[in-house]
Amino acid sequence: MSRSGRLCRVVFCALVAGALLFSVLTPARSGELVTLRFSNWHLVEDVWGRSLREAINIFESRNPGIRITPEPISYAEKEPRYQAECAARRMPDVVKLHNFSLAMFFELGCAADLTPFVQRKGPGFLKTWYEFPLKMLTYRGRLMAMPDDFQSIVLIYNQELFRAAGLDPKRPPRTWTEFLEYSRRLTRDVDGDGRIDQWGFSIPASKNPGLPLRIMPIVWSFGADFITEDGRRSAMNTPEFREAFRFIVELATVHKVVPPGVTTFGPQDVRIQMAQRRIAMKIGSAWSYPIVNALNPQLNAAQVLEAAPVPVGRRRITAAWLDAWVMSPHTRYPEEAWKFIEFLTSKEIEKKFFEDNRVISSRKDVNTLPMVRTDKFSRVIVAELEHARLEPFIKEWPEIFDAFATALQEAITGAKPAERALLDAHTRVEEILARRR
Amino acid sequence: MSVGVLRLRLSARRGRVRERIAGYLFVAPAILLLGAVLAYPAFVSLRLSFTVAGSPTGLGLDQYRLLLRSSLFWQVVRQTGTFVAISVGAHLILGMLLALALNRPLMGRTPLRIMVLLPWVVPDVVAGIVWKWILNPLYGVLNDVLLELHLVQSPLEWIASPKLALFSVILANVWRGFPFVMVILLAGLQAIPEELYEAAAIDGAGPLASFRHITLPGLRKVLVVALALDTIWEVRRFGLIQAMTGGGPGTLTEVLSTQVFKQYFQFFRFEYASAMAMAMTALLLLISIPYVRMIVREE
Amino acid sequence: MPGLFSSRSPLAAAAIYTFLLAVGVYVIFPFLWMLLTSLKTETEALQIPVVWLPVRPTLKAYAVMWIRKNYAVYFLNSTVVSLITALLSSLLGALAGYGFSRFALRGRGVLMGFVLTTQMLPGVLVVGPYFKILSAVGLYDTRTGLIIAFLTICLPFATWMLKGFIDGIPRELDDAARVDGCSWLGIFARIVMPLVLPGLVATILFAFLLAWGDLLWVSTLTHSESMVTVTLAIARTVQEFYVNWPELMAGALIGGVPSILLYLLMQRWLVQGLTAGAIKQ
Repeated sequence: MSRSGRLCRVVFCALVAGALLFSVLTPARSGELVTLRFSNWHLVEDVWGRSLREAINIFESRNPGIRITPEPISYAEKEPRYQAECAARRMPDVVKLHNFSLAMFFELGCAADLTPFVQRKGPGFLKTWYEFPLKMLTYRGRLMAMPDDFQSIVLIYNQELFRAAGLDPKRPPRTWTEFLEYSRRLTRDVDGDGRIDQWGFSIPASKNPGLPLRIMPIVWSFGADFITEDGRRSAMNTPEFREAFRFIVELATVHKVVPPGVTTFGPQDVRIQMAQRRIAMKIGSAWSYPIVNALNPQLNAAQVLEAAPVPVGRRRITAAWLDAWVMSPHTRYPEEAWKFIEFLTSKEIEKKFFEDNRVISSRKDVNTLPMVRTDKFSRVIVAELEHARLEPFIKEWPEIFDAFATALQEAITGAKPAERALLDAHTRVEEILARRR
Repeated sequence: MSVGVLRLRLSARRGRVRERIAGYLFVAPAILLLGAVLAYPAFVSLRLSFTVAGSPTGLGLDQYRLLLRSSLFWQVVRQTGTFVAISVGAHLILGMLLALALNRPLMGRTPLRIMVLLPWVVPDVVAGIVWKWILNPLYGVLNDVLLELHLVQSPLEWIASPKLALFSVILANVWRGFPFVMVILLAGLQAIPEELYEAAAIDGAGPLASFRHITLPGLRKVLVVALALDTIWEVRRFGLIQAMTGGGPGTLTEVLSTQVFKQYFQFFRFEYASAMAMAMTALLLLISIPYVRMIVREE
Repeated sequence: MPGLFSSRSPLAAAAIYTFLLAVGVYVIFPFLWMLLTSLKTETEALQIPVVWLPVRPTLKAYAVMWIRKNYAVYFLNSTVVSLITALLSSLLGALAGYGFSRFALRGRGVLMGFVLTTQMLPGVLVVGPYFKILSAVGLYDTRTGLIIAFLTICLPFATWMLKGFIDGIPRELDDAARVDGCSWLGIFARIVMPLVLPGLVATILFAFLLAWGDLLWVSTLTHSESMVTVTLAIARTVQEFYVNWPELMAGALIGGVPSILLYLLMQRWLVQGLTAGAIKQ
C-alpha cells in the first residue's frame, strides 16, 4: 500500500473513531424527571402507533413530572427481548404481553404484583372489568397484570361474494355443516379462465402466534380440547378431537375450499386474500377489518364485511384474545408506572382506542357505550365474549400447540397420513405434560 | 567447548525465546479479547445444559439423555447435515467456476464482479423474505414464469410441499452464500504467479492438468479455510430458514439453529436448548478438526 | 492466465458466457424483483396474476422509508458499527494470523482451534449472557457494546482468513528482511501486509457484511430508537399485522447501498494483487 494510501486510511480511521467516541461520551440526560421506559409492538404499527403516541402525549401533559420513553419493538421480538432484559433486571417499566406468553412471564417472575395498587383503589375498582380476564391474570392469588384488549374471535365474511354465489348475506353459516356447504359454493372460478381464483375460506396455518386463536374455536365447538381439565394429560386422542382435526384438514385436502399453500400463510396473508376478494370468509376479530380496509380501500370493508358468531358444533364457544399491561418487577418507579397503567386502562383512553382502532377492551363500561353497541362488528364481538374462553395458561402451552400445528401441516401437505400425524402429536403432548409431573 | 561457541548457542536460544515471545504477543490481543468476552457466556451455557432440577447437586446428564433419545433431534441433525452438505458443495462448485471465469480478462468483468457479490449484501433474513415472496404459490413470480412457459399445470407449492421445501431453502441459501467462496477464491487465484501457468503451457500441459497441478495446490490453504468457515456458518444459518419456512412444513426444514431458537425463545426450555446448542457446538468441533489439522500440519 | 479457462476457442468463450448468463439471471433476478416491487403501489404488488412492470412507477416507498422512518440514523449506526468492527477485527486478525503463520508457538493447534471454536457457539445462547455483561459494564444500548459483540463473530473469521493468505507468502521474504535487521512488526507492516492486500480487502469486506447483516444481537443488545440499525429496521417492517411490500423492498435495497459502495471502493485493491504477485521472485 502506498504511503498516501496508508495515511488516508489512518485519517479515515481516526475520523470514525472520533465519531464513535463522541457518540459514546455524549452524556445522558439527567434531571428530576421520572422517565418510564414503555415498550409495545403497537408503536411500530402505523395506525395503532399513532393512537398510542397521542395517548402518551395526553398522559405527559397531565403529569409533567413523568416522561415516557417509547421503545418500539416488533411483535416477534418481544418475548426474547423482554426475557433477556428481565434476566438482567433491565426490563422496560411497562410492557404489553398477550395470553400466549403471559403465563411464562408470571412463572419467571418477570411481572410485578399489582395487587397492592389495585387494593388501594378500593373494593369496587375491579368490578368494571370482566371477571374472566382478571381471573386469568391472577397468579397464585395475586394480580400480575392489568387486562387491556379482550376480543372474541368471530367469523368475518364478505357480503357481496355471498350474494354473487347465491347465498343470503343475512344468513351466515350457523353450523359447521352449513359452513362447509357455504365454503364449497363460494369456491369458484370467477373470471372464467378455468382456474379457481376465489375460495370460500382461509386460515393462517403456518406456525405463527395467531393460529391458536383460529383453531381453538373450531376444536372447542366440536366438543374437544387439547388437554384434560386438570391439565395433566393430552386430550388429542378423543373421538371429538379426531373429528375436529379431520374436518379442518379436509377443508384443504378433500374439499379444497382454502387457497393452495395454506400451511405457509400468516395472518397477514389471509387478510390480503380477503382484501383482494380471494376469500369469502375468515376467522378474526376487531383488528381484522381496519387492516383489510387499509390494504384495499376499494373494497370498502366497512360496508362489505360482516361479522357473525363462529359456527356452532356441539357447543357454542369461541376463543378470545387477551392482552395485558405488565409492570417490570425491577422498576425504579412503581408508583409512576402504575399511574401510567391506570391511565392506559382508564375509561377515557380505552374509549379513545376504540374510536381510533376499533379494539374492544376488557372494560364493561366502555363495551356498553352506544358507539360500541351500534358498530356492527363490535356488537358481535362483545356479545360473543360471553361464550369466550382462553387457552390454557400453562408454561408448556406454546410447545403443546406447536405439536398440534406440526400435525396439521403434516396432514394437510401429505407428509404423513392425518391419523398418524395426530397420533404422533398426541404422544408428544403426553411427553410434554409428563415433564410437569 | 569454547566460550565462543557457548555464547553463540546462548544467544541463539535467547533469540528463539524472543522469537516465541514475539509470536505470542502477536496472537495475544485476539485470544485475550475472545476469551474475555466469550468465557462467561460459554460457561453459563455449559452449566445450563447440565442443570437438572431435583438432583442433589443441581447437575446431571438428564438434558443430554432427553436429547439423544428424541427422534426429532436426530431428524433435525439429518436435515441439518443435508442442508449444509448441499449448500457448501454448491457454494464451492459455483464459487470456483465463477472465480475461474472472472479471473480471465473478460468483457464487462468489473460490473460482473460487483454483480456476483450482491447476494451477500442482503442480510439473510431479508433474503429469506424475498425468496419466500418469489416462491409464493399465489403471488410468486417464479410460478408465474413456470406457468407462462407451460412447464407446470398449476402453481407449485415450493415452501409448503414436503418434497420441495428443503430444496427451496437450499436454493435461497446457495444464492445468498456463494459470493463468499467466490471472492475468497478469486483473491487466492490472483496470488498464484502467472509464470507457473506459462511454464506449464510451455511444457505442454492442457487446461485440466494445469488446473489440477497448479491451481488446486495453490488454492489449497485458502480453499480449506473458506470451506471450514462456510461449513460452520451454514450449520449456524438461522434467519434465512426461519423467515422462509419457520421449520415447516411440520418439522421438515428444521435445522439445529432453528430448533435451539424454538426451544429457548418459544418454549422457554432453557436447559434443553443449552444441551442442544452444546451438541451443535460439539458437532461443529468434530467437523472442523480435520480442517484445523490440515492447516496446522503443513508447517 | 489460469489454466482451466485459458482456451481461446470461441466454443469455450461461448460456454463461459452462457454459464455467466445463467448465473447472472439466478443472481440478479431476486434483486430485479425487489426493485420492481419497490416501485409499485401496495395494491399493485399484491396482484394476481402477477404484474411484472409497475403501471406507474412511484418512488413513494423510498420516500416513506427514508424520510418518515428515519433511515439516516439507522444508516449512521450500521455504517459506524460495521466499519469499526471490520477494521478492528481485520487488524487484530491480521496480527494474530501473522503470529500463527510465522511463529512456532507451543500449543498452536490448540489456540487456533480455540479461535475457531468461538465461532461455534450458537448466537441464541450467547445473547442472554452478553446482555448481562454489557449491562454490567454500562455498554448496553451503545454502539461500542455492539462492536464488542460483533467482534466475537468477525475476529475469529478474520484470523483464520488472514492466516490462510499470509501462509501463501513465501517465508524467504521474511528471512531476507530479518537479515536486513527489520523488526517483526516491521516485516508484518511493510512486507507481509502489502502482499496479502487482496486477502485483507476481502476480509474487511466480509467482516463488514457480517456485522451489517446481524439481526438477533442488534435486537437484543439495544433498545433505543437511536441505536437501531438498518437490518433491524428492515426486519421490523415485517410486522405481525401489516407488511408493506414496496416499503420492505425499498428498505432492503437502500440498505444494500453502503455495502456495494464499500465493495466498489475496495475492489481496486482486490485486483491490485495481480501485479503484486509478479513481484515475488
